[in-house]
Amino acid sequence: MRKVFVLALALVMAIGMSGLVAAQDAVTLQVWTGSSSDAENAAKEAQIAAFEEANPNIDVELLISPDYGTQIQASFASGDYPDVFTVGQFEFPSLLDSGVLASGEGYIENPEGVYPSLLSAFSSEGTAYCVPKDFSTLALFYNTDLFDAAGVEYPTADWTWEDMYAAAEAIANSDAVADGVTGFSAGADRNRWLGLLYANGADIAGEDGLSTVNSPEAVAAIEFYSSFVANGVGARPSDLEGSGWNGEAFGRGLAAMTIEGNWAIGYLQNDFPELNWAVAETPVSPSGERGTLTFTECWAVGANSEHPEEAWALVNFLTGEEGALTVATSGFGVMPARPSAAQAWLDTRGQEFEPFVSGADYAVAPVFPLGYGDFTTAFDEGTNAVLAGEQTPQEFLDEVAEIWNEITAENM
Amino acid sequence: MATQTAAAVDPAPIKNSNAKLQEAISGWGFMLPAFLILFVFMILPLFVAGYFSLTDWNGRRPLTNPDAFEMVGMENYQTLLLSGRRVDDFYNALKNTVYYVAGVVPAQTAIALVLAVIVNQRWLKGRGFFRTAFYFPSITSSIVVSMIFLFLFSNTGPVNGALRAIFPSYQDVSWLTDNNGLVHNFFGLFGMTARNAPAFLTDTEIFRISLWDWISGPSVAMFTIMMLAIWTTIGTMMVVYLAALQNIPSQVYEAAAVDGATQTQIFRRITLPLLRPTTFFVVTLGLIGTFQVFDQVYMLRDEQTRESTMTVAYLVYDTAFNLADPRMGLAAATALTLFAIIFVATIVQRRLVGGDRPADE
Repeated sequence: MRKVFVLALALVMAIGMSGLVAAQDAVTLQVWTGSSSDAENAAKEAQIAAFEEANPNIDVELLISPDYGTQIQASFASGDYPDVFTVGQFEFPSLLDSGVLASGEGYIENPEGVYPSLLSAFSSEGTAYCVPKDFSTLALFYNTDLFDAAGVEYPTADWTWEDMYAAAEAIANSDAVADGVTGFSAGADRNRWLGLLYANGADIAGEDGLSTVNSPEAVAAIEFYSSFVANGVGARPSDLEGSGWNGEAFGRGLAAMTIEGNWAIGYLQNDFPELNWAVAETPVSPSGERGTLTFTECWAVGANSEHPEEAWALVNFLTGEEGALTVATSGFGVMPARPSAAQAWLDTRGQEFEPFVSGADYAVAPVFPLGYGDFTTAFDEGTNAVLAGEQTPQEFLDEVAEIWNEITAENM
Repeated sequence: MATQTAAAVDPAPIKNSNAKLQEAISGWGFMLPAFLILFVFMILPLFVAGYFSLTDWNGRRPLTNPDAFEMVGMENYQTLLLSGRRVDDFYNALKNTVYYVAGVVPAQTAIALVLAVIVNQRWLKGRGFFRTAFYFPSITSSIVVSMIFLFLFSNTGPVNGALRAIFPSYQDVSWLTDNNGLVHNFFGLFGMTARNAPAFLTDTEIFRISLWDWISGPSVAMFTIMMLAIWTTIGTMMVVYLAALQNIPSQVYEAAAVDGATQTQIFRRITLPLLRPTTFFVVTLGLIGTFQVFDQVYMLRDEQTRESTMTVAYLVYDTAFNLADPRMGLAAATALTLFAIIFVATIVQRRLVGGDRPADE
């Protein structure tokens, strides 16, 4: 009996020891990200599996959450948040301020290889906190059938705002085009028309923190965007047989042009295979520049991660040259964050989508600084009001500029 | 009762207190699970929310950090109710919520009562079927029902299609995205719009919202959400009424019939007063439920209808989980304000309906 007991004890200890030994070299990383399309989720899982294979001592627990924003916010609040997680450009300022992001200083491999406009969206005072994984830009979509029917030339490389307006006007008034079809679908969304504001050399605020959003250049941008609707040569998507967004109005052939992002490519190809369309870069503003917006997401490491080395190794794996190539060839809408993989993306999606890639050179991430939430709300409501014809562009921008300055004064 | 019996059998004082103690222990023991659940998930969060409503916590800074938040006193309430830039957000949400409550509660109570009376009739064939059919929406997940409504009321959906088939001159209504208020639309029939409304309406501002906007009525999009809410809740209310109707003794009706009362008189003078406690219950449930409306709004709203379908409960969520700038402290203050409003509304309603008094006294 005693022998059996001793043996059993030894066995228990042996198992315990082996467990300890195993625990010493196996690091477990908690990785969270939001759920998107099935294809994109599968691609993320495959990337994680490849990383685990290459690093047998690192064990990754991947959570793809359908309600990511709420779930990760709760985990931040509790102080028990994942080692590695995705961050969008709009929540980045608040997360940085909340101190949950680890600095990437010295950890990020080859940051020069990332589009600077994307990396700067996740940087503060020269330090990057998060590595962009992919991005989208806006470009001009046009319906070639409607252009042909109205006898209007397709957009060219030196198309200006005036040319675009003239084309919309010609198509809307053309007898060869059905009634109810308009020249341009103008979504009532700051994340569409702000590109025009930046293109015209305007900005939201100056160096001194005071708003410049009601400068003549900015007013001209929203005047241009809303003039389509005001003059009846364009319309909001909701007024185009109640379309939910620009892509739907354009896909249903109700608008000859719209400004949308590369996420619309797959949507148009799948839902409207009959539609004949093409994309061009956004037209040149009266200031002689182009402008577009970029929307990007990145991989970050949690500030309280117990395994920063391993966590950054994973982030570098996901966002490095190879990771970028995987994003490029996976075949979902977003573009890889590194120019080195741009050609691979074009090969997968089609060379004709180059305007989206070219946009990366002059794109701006339309993120307002932290604490300006009331400005954002007023900005959105004003954009709606201008497109509904309830407010003039000047009134709208004067009003939001005042709100911006109020907030700035309070924070000083 | 039990203690008295025990005392009678054995007058020894020690025994007596023992029995009392035991009774107390078992009493508390039986209550404990329910009490714990209530305490952990209802009472404690209420106090925690009260605490956070006095802070500037953003809901993201880890609470394990010493500098996660600062106490700001009543600042959040000030921002919300009195002077901040968010004042119009809150009062706009309150306005929408009041229109919602004022539309949904009477409608669902009245329809539920009518349905209950109908399915309570002996002459009705297939009563079981109707009772099930009317109750069915209530037991279906509100998310599923919302998705069905999204399909039915979409611009190219069956509702517009049916209306077009019946009325050839019908212009499609954007049921889900139309921000125009129903009262505004009614005024519009007589040619009065925001442009030519009397100056005292458009120029008088209360809490940064013009009088003209205060009287807008629920927007068309909100009206669609209201129809959804009415449709899903009448089933539950009907079952409550049905149970109460079957509790009314038949002698009362027989006596009334002998006295020569007409059907209408019987309904008005006998059925309705005897249902008074039930009506109080139904209206109270309705008030609390509608003031807190969230899931239907969450499912059916659209960015374009942000302002016109914003309710107070949705504003709490929107403030707490805003992507760019979450403000948990302000959200907690909003939630507590909503609590106070519901509390007052229920008391006022109790005074009006008087549910605690037996019906006929």
